[in-house]
Amino acid sequence: MNNLNSSATPAAGEYAGDEVSAIVLDPGYSSVRAGFAGEDVPKSVCPSWYGQIDSDSGPQYLFGENAIYRPAPNLQIKNYWGADGVVEDWDTAAKLWEYAITSRLTGTRASDPSKNGLNDDPKENGNGEAMDVNMETIENQEKPLEESPLLMTEPGWNPTKAREKAIEIAMEEWGTPAFYLQKTGVLAAFASGKASGIIIDVGASHTSVTPVLDGMVLKKGVQKSPLAGNFVSNQIRLGFKRSQPEIPLTPHYLVKSKTQVDAGSPAQAVYRTFDTPPTDSFRYYQEERVLTEYKESVVEVWPGPGRLSNGTNEEIAKSMPGRPFEMPDGWNQVFGVDRFKAAEGLFDANAALTDDANPRPKDEHTLPRLVQAAVQHVDADQRPILLQNIVVTGASTLLYKFGDRLNYEINNIYPSTRNKLIAPGPVVERKYAAWIGGSILASLGSFHQLWISKKEYEEQGANIVEKRCR
Amino acid sequence: MPPFKDEQIIVIAPGSETTVAQLGLPESFTPARLRVRSRMFPAEKPGEWEPYKIRRRNDKPEQPGDGAESRPDGDEAIYEEDRVSEEGAVWPMKEGRIVDWSCFFALITHVYNALNPPFHTPILLIAQPVWTPKEHEKLTQFFFEKFKTPAFGLMDAAMATSWAYGVHTSTIVDVGKDKVDVTAISEFIPHLQGRVMALAGCGGEALTEGLLAKLRSKSWSRDMCEQLKKSPICEILPPDTPLPGTTEASEEQPITNPAAAASTGASASGPAAASAIGNGPRGPGVDTDVGDDANADDEGVLDVASIVTGGKMEEYLAKKEKEKQEKANAKKKGGADTAAAANANKPIRLPNAKRERATFLYEDHRLLDNLKNMNLGSERLAEMQNQLDEGPQRQGEIVNGEPTSAVDANGASDTGNGSNQSGPIRRELEVGTERFMAASNGMLERIADAVHRTISSVDEVNKRSELWDSLIICGNGSRVRGFKEALLATIQAKYLISPSSATMFTSEIPSNISTPAGTGANTPQPQLGPHGGAPSHVNPLLYAATTAQTQHLMPHNPTSHLPGLSHNAHSSHSQTPTSIKLVKPPEYFPEWKDVGFDESAFLGAQVAAKVIFVVDQGQSKGYMTRPDYNDQGPTGIHDYAL
Repeated sequence: MNNLNSSATPAAGEYAGDEVSAIVLDPGYSSVRAGFAGEDVPKSVCPSWYGQIDSDSGPQYLFGENAIYRPAPNLQIKNYWGADGVVEDWDTAAKLWEYAITSRLTGTRASDPSKNGLNDDPKENGNGEAMDVNMETIENQEKPLEESPLLMTEPGWNPTKAREKAIEIAMEEWGTPAFYLQKTGVLAAFASGKASGIIIDVGASHTSVTPVLDGMVLKKGVQKSPLAGNFVSNQIRLGFKRSQPEIPLTPHYLVKSKTQVDAGSPAQAVYRTFDTPPTDSFRYYQEERVLTEYKESVVEVWPGPGRLSNGTNEEIAKSMPGRPFEMPDGWNQVFGVDRFKAAEGLFDANAALTDDANPRPKDEHTLPRLVQAAVQHVDADQRPILLQNIVVTGASTLLYKFGDRLNYEINNIYPSTRNKLIAPGPVVERKYAAWIGGSILASLGSFHQLWISKKEYEEQGANIVEKRCR
Repeated sequence: MPPFKDEQIIVIAPGSETTVAQLGLPESFTPARLRVRSRMFPAEKPGEWEPYKIRRRNDKPEQPGDGAESRPDGDEAIYEEDRVSEEGAVWPMKEGRIVDWSCFFALITHVYNALNPPFHTPILLIAQPVWTPKEHEKLTQFFFEKFKTPAFGLMDAAMATSWAYGVHTSTIVDVGKDKVDVTAISEFIPHLQGRVMALAGCGGEALTEGLLAKLRSKSWSRDMCEQLKKSPICEILPPDTPLPGTTEASEEQPITNPAAAASTGASASGPAAASAIGNGPRGPGVDTDVGDDANADDEGVLDVASIVTGGKMEEYLAKKEKEKQEKANAKKKGGADTAAAANANKPIRLPNAKRERATFLYEDHRLLDNLKNMNLGSERLAEMQNQLDEGPQRQGEIVNGEPTSAVDANGASDTGNGSNQSGPIRRELEVGTERFMAASNGMLERIADAVHRTISSVDEVNKRSELWDSLIICGNGSRVRGFKEALLATIQAKYLISPSSATMFTSEIPSNISTPAGTGANTPQPQLGPHGGAPSHVNPLLYAATTAQTQHLMPHNPTSHLPGLSHNAHSSHSQTPTSIKLVKPPEYFPEWKDVGFDESAFLGAQVAAKVIFVVDQGQSKGYMTRPDYNDQGPTGIHDYAL
């Protein structure tokens, strides 16, 4: 289980088996992936959403699934990513990343006095042994990552400031001995065993299309768009609102027990009551969980040929059998053509549902146009190579028939070249492609010369990341 | 020849509350022979630990006005091990995490020494899910360097449980002391990404807290609640079951979840209705009687320990004696009323769930501690103890006459060392319907949510329905009566998907889905399978009704090299769960049947130890040998762990 897959196993001479294992950190909008280099899946996957409880003594942060799924008064669920796909709240980001690394990889440091057991009984601290333990943990506390080099991923459009901030946190807050920053696009290509290709990454908040040539990102060709997983969720929400009668979206935590009802009938569930109802952001996050289930089991991408709105396609879609879905409160219905509409906006801006809060997406943000724009920035003679290696990654590409539709759209734009989609079958490889690529890269012996050491950082400052990590 | 013999193998399973271990694998696997409370006492020298509390012993009572200095043996203080007391103990594990390493290592050393193994003993350690890879390395280093063990293996607790049950795909809900771990295992591979580890505030400790919250107003101590929880009268009723004695109980409850009832037969309303019937005949006479008892009870619950230390011992004993007399008189009069709730020897027995009040024997450790601290002479101590001890001389037998399990004995099997001296003082306590409210703090819902989260995060969507169909609830926290049933009912009430009325009748059942792909029945089994259990199949009708017929559509993958796509991509499956079931415990371990399968992780570890150390002779790399360790160092363990 700990072996890399066969396509990626490095030759014995290259493999740096005696090196201390590096940690690979791949932060995304929906989840943060962290694990040891050389392993095939990240051991730690932690939601990027975090809980915040404001009190008089300052805000209290809650990380990890266990904390943020539990309804609590005044618990707000937030995300440290900004709307533009760049980390916005660096302080919390650093804390959350550290949580992701320490909670499941290196061991918790004794940072939280209420949890480390040292403060439970004042008597225990009275004797010398407990004090020794205290001293040890304090040392650990200062340097959570002192033993492990860190390879971090970044989106293709990461600004200089954000990159410098990343190395600063790694070096100064975590005390990592070596650091490197690599773009997700390149790593996803590595995970599929490709050095060149077009990487289509449909994540939660953003879709990106990255042309990669010989392991280098063509920076001007990088395209991003906000039409991704969250966009699909919003489309579903809009669809529910539009439907007659409106489809209720009740998250699990409000329901105590549900009762079977006929399709389309109002729910008859026993609801839970709260003294202080959880905040809107908590509810929103919990609703997303239901929508994820809906996306997994109901939503389907119109596979082509043509768009859903073309000709008789919608009629055909209508004639296809619907898929049932049951809400947490027992409300259920069979979704027919509606289930095709939720994701159609990814490919066809005209088909997207809109309202005041959700304006019509821009045409150039749809997937076919993104690919087109990315390819245009590449020299004409390189294009066929890239189009033979179209790597599809990101959890939102798991939408049913997504691959079929993408294949159709690309063949539609480039009918004369040999286009080949590379979409790994196993779900983990799709969801964690960038992390897996990072794991492969950081365990290569030849990679070791690329690390930025602590010494170099101290000599040259944070700007070294611009020179060394291209 | 296998490298190791059965009788050489050590299996250790550390837990926050109890650490169990065993040397040698018997012919038929037994529950662990060695049970140790997971705590150590700081020794006089810092950094050293003692397994028992060391107390200064005095043979003679202190004479007033005649200090210790004047006694001839004043300098020669005699120390004795107090094997019952837990004053000042340090518990090295909290919520499964190791919080005090030096104490933890001392505990393991104590366990190791208690087993007294020969030199050539491989060790298999059950790892808590929360232990991080770095901690695994630390443990590996410790075991190799401290015990010079020839071979060492680490096995995840959830994995061990699945081995015990012999199922390759299951969802393990491990209810521990302060935490719950939920792990989805498919094809013997634990799904690490979405695993819920150490869900705090949900274990046995939380149940005690729940009882304490209800009973604090009646001046119950924490220890009393803890023992109440372990007694068979404490029970967790399925959600929405009215408590006996409440007005709701007499009303007929509506069926709250026909979906659950229909598909699994476990109806939420069954017990409710039953208890309503059971409660009917009890007339108002009982109420008055209960009132009387409550008075007596209040006195009983009084903090005897402080009375004793307060020097009012004699008074208290006198009063106690008087009470006993009265009680006996009342009994002689044939007052069945008086005895109704208080005594087990009542001729007509109602099930516990229908009685308003019940009693159990409480072992008052604190009282004993106080007595000891009073520096009485040993004779006097024994005398006082006998006077205070209300329990009949039948340790372990409890009101309902149900056998106490190994854990109820509290790991205190070593307390029975001869004289009555160190035996606990038992008192009878009575409790009302609070005993059903241990889990009223929303704990079951939180565990249910964790199970849903865990299974929803499994990437192989087609595995999910099988995961729902094979729940395993284990761990000593789930030992409380009714816990498993109540948890299952909670999960079913919240998450079960009913067959949609829209597709059930309008759609035909597609002919090509007679065997659901999701059960993994056709997948090749890993060689290691100890005794591959039959996967439970989804009811094909239900499956058809909830899936609709996307399978009719022509599967045309964009590229030929995507064989896994249709298998793994979303939407090729239906919403889960359409049924939720517990896995039946294995039947071929007679020794385990009696004590229950709550510690099945240990059973699984025995199975695994047999397989990795003996049967396959190390071919599956289930353990690390000393040469391996010398070559690779502690980090090598990751290549070997199961």
